[in-house]
Amino acid sequence: MSQSVSVPLVIRGEIIDDCRLEFGGRRGELRFSAPDVRDHLSRLVLDTPSKMADLYELGFDDIVDYLARLGQRLSMTTNAHLQAAFEVSRHTSGLSESVLRYFYEQIPQSFLPEVVRETAQRLVGIDYLEGWVPQPSTVYQGPPSRIRAFGARCVHVIAGNVPSVGVGTVIRNAFTRSDAIVKSPSNDPLTTLALARTMIDMAPTHPLTRHLSVAYWKGGDEGVEQPLYDPRHVEKIVAWGGFTSIKHITRYLQPGIDLITLDPKHSATLIGAEAFADDATLWAVARRLALDIGTMNQEGCVNARVIYVVSGTDAAGLARLERLGQYTFEALQQLPMHLSTPHKAFDAELKAEIDGLRFAGDDYRVFGGKNNEGAIIVSRDGAPVDFSRLLACRVGNLVPVDDAEAAVLSVNAYTQTIGIYPEALKERLRDRLAWQGAQRLVSLGGAGLFKDAAIPQDGIEPVRRMCKWIVEQTIDGAELEMLATTGLAG
Amino acid sequence: MTSLYEQLLDDPLRYFDASYDQGYRLNREQRDAIHLRGLQKRFDALRGSVSVLGALASEQGIERIERIDDVVPLLFPHTVYKSYPLSMLERGQYDRLTRWLNGLTAFDLSGVDARGVGSIDEWIALLDRSTELRILHTFGTSGKLSFLPRTAQQWIDMNTLTAHCVRDWRGPRSGPDLLTQRLPMVQPGYRHGAGATYRGVDVMVRRWAGGDDNALFLYPDTYFSADIASLAGRLRAAQARGEQGRLELSPALLARREEFAARERDRPAQMEKFFETALQRFGGRDICLFAVWPILFEWAEAGLARGIRNVFGPGSLLMSGGGSKGRVLPDDYREQINAFLGFDNCFEVYSMSELMAGCPRCEHGHYHVPPVLVPFVLDPDSGAPLPREGVQSGRFAFVDLLCDSSWGGLITGDSVTMAGWDETCACGREGPYLHATIRRFSELQGGDDKINCAGAPEAHDRAVDFLLSRVE
Repeated sequence: MSQSVSVPLVIRGEIIDDCRLEFGGRRGELRFSAPDVRDHLSRLVLDTPSKMADLYELGFDDIVDYLARLGQRLSMTTNAHLQAAFEVSRHTSGLSESVLRYFYEQIPQSFLPEVVRETAQRLVGIDYLEGWVPQPSTVYQGPPSRIRAFGARCVHVIAGNVPSVGVGTVIRNAFTRSDAIVKSPSNDPLTTLALARTMIDMAPTHPLTRHLSVAYWKGGDEGVEQPLYDPRHVEKIVAWGGFTSIKHITRYLQPGIDLITLDPKHSATLIGAEAFADDATLWAVARRLALDIGTMNQEGCVNARVIYVVSGTDAAGLARLERLGQYTFEALQQLPMHLSTPHKAFDAELKAEIDGLRFAGDDYRVFGGKNNEGAIIVSRDGAPVDFSRLLACRVGNLVPVDDAEAAVLSVNAYTQTIGIYPEALKERLRDRLAWQGAQRLVSLGGAGLFKDAAIPQDGIEPVRRMCKWIVEQTIDGAELEMLATTGLAG
Repeated sequence: MTSLYEQLLDDPLRYFDASYDQGYRLNREQRDAIHLRGLQKRFDALRGSVSVLGALASEQGIERIERIDDVVPLLFPHTVYKSYPLSMLERGQYDRLTRWLNGLTAFDLSGVDARGVGSIDEWIALLDRSTELRILHTFGTSGKLSFLPRTAQQWIDMNTLTAHCVRDWRGPRSGPDLLTQRLPMVQPGYRHGAGATYRGVDVMVRRWAGGDDNALFLYPDTYFSADIASLAGRLRAAQARGEQGRLELSPALLARREEFAARERDRPAQMEKFFETALQRFGGRDICLFAVWPILFEWAEAGLARGIRNVFGPGSLLMSGGGSKGRVLPDDYREQINAFLGFDNCFEVYSMSELMAGCPRCEHGHYHVPPVLVPFVLDPDSGAPLPREGVQSGRFAFVDLLCDSSWGGLITGDSVTMAGWDETCACGREGPYLHATIRRFSELQGGDDKINCAGAPEAHDRAVDFLLSRVE
């Protein structure tokens, strides 16, 4: 994509398109231009929190209805904004076109009324979003305290590896009645913007339209971030992904700003000895493992990378493991196009590391890895490859262990999802894996699937934390007077 | 007497006996013939004795080299010399590390018994004692040291070649002859070590300076530890990912931490003393100085501030490089350094640990490929060789024909522009040369994973801090 793309700024229902600053353009990178956010900072921030009052004239049903109407307009066949975003993502995304198209076609699903209701109910509680909920107590005898979840002024520094991150952010912002400033990622500058523009086309003055802003600035730009990340302007920051971006943000932390990080994570896989029961079982395991590695072309933090297998570490065990490696590689090649394809920009550094393995004697066996088709690396020496942090582009690393214990100990707070086979092993180890730091335990093959998406993330509840939990308490006046005069509570 | 062309055609190692500058007066046809014959000779000799080369050749179905480009599928990726699993070091399996190294050298290491070796330093010492190898280690690209199987003889040969380059680069016998002139050697670094910049020091002291009495080092008695370099590299990689908490340290390393800490604490004072001593002992005399630009600049800046200029003789020689990474130098840093030192005879060479035959820089800023190095520019995406003509940009690769006991073929991580195939550089030297725009691909991709020699001391500091922060 040689010509430059314009990435306008949306501030609460208004489009600003004096795109004067150029970004990107290095080796094959997208070139795009955007307005200078510094010129618009005073309007970008919501300086008076009471300006959020308009959101409270809406009932939850109004919000569901608004999102449902928005979802109907987010069809890839008719929405020009979304088509433009897709066009840019085709060039910037690590996902190939077929996988990417599938993601975009799924966007309206998230806006269906039943989906929005269940998401709000499970991730916050609709009653808490709608009003003051009494807290009955068996200890305290007075009138019950009441709690309500309020929206907050929040900057979202979102990831660009899949378009669903921006979509989820817009929906969460709406049902929590928050005011969002979304900082777009350079690898997907248009998707969230497309949603905001569709909202403007649909209902330019609606409060939900007027409480979403979408901007691009270069992460770490002090001229923007210093004034923005100020407790007078922003109460919460939700930061996804890269260590560097989170490190930038921590510089501005001070009392009054709540940082919610969805850290860079990696995921793991644990396969029990039952996988080797017979050849048909091994094939089934291989196909499910291929899904965990290959879905989204391994662009997600949920994808399998290092895979511990209770194959045994003796010669027979290694032979078993290599068979699983071979089957998994074959299964990877057969995944449906909309789920996974050979990677269109295979990481050259990773390729050089894989090429290096053939010089490591008999410590590794590599299936595939010739071009961009992906690879399964079998570590015959019982340790993950030294470049395990680089694993991407559909490259998995099988590590043999004699029992599941060794694998459990390798889990830590950087481990997000663990795909496990068989179910009994999952049940047996789930508490221990949680103590070690794992955050999501899922049947092998389901790591990259989010059919049931209204769940905590990275061991935290980011949506509850996006809210301000406000307490109202009623105490009898006479009782308080008695306390003041006699020191006795009533 | 046969011509250099005939000598190199017979054996590229004959370049060690030649006038260095003559290597840049060969014509295209002669160079191509030397390259093709040299490739054939090295491949035929090494495919049977360097087992990983044999395996790669079998896998690629390559029996013989008919044309120069035939060798491209046989070039090793730059990861080859660090392809051992790190777990070998963590588990102290130095016998397995020896077996791994055995696959990369024509020497037979099967008689080396590395059981009981507890550290990289001990392993290197064992190889020094019991084999022809004098391996060198790098400072740890992306947290892992590369180990290159150089031999004792190769260090002597490389020393000869460098001396000849200094002597003949600007015309036959135009420069000092380091092998006879006994210039005092001044280096603000380690006297001992197997690190890329330290391994050759011993030969230099012996052959150039004529002994330690005529040399000055910052650490004259200290060995630069490969184990510390390894820790520093892994620490840097872990820091870059925010995973410092995951690093595990060996008890042997922890036990040595006080020693490292004391040395690091004393470093600024030692450095001051070193520079003082250099002025006292060698001021006004011609010297041979080795130092990276940032250290030189610090010295010059402090000296000039005290009104000190022209401290050494005009016939002195500076060997530098390493860029200015980690420190922003003013535009006129070289002028300031020259004014302070009192000479401007500086040699800069494009080289790397994997190269025996580096490429010296001419007055037009081009790095000239010597005739014993077969250069390639590869398409960065496909890896296919680009035509050996015109101006080509891509990934630099080479076969170093001076490597006769390991395979000299390597695909580098460097992005280069090469010219000179069909046009002569304005400096008059024939043959291919690289433009000054050399970058690492990893930097171009936004990464920065290389600790060059200029960065190593700083990384060392961090490693020591980290060691000290561990409460037993």
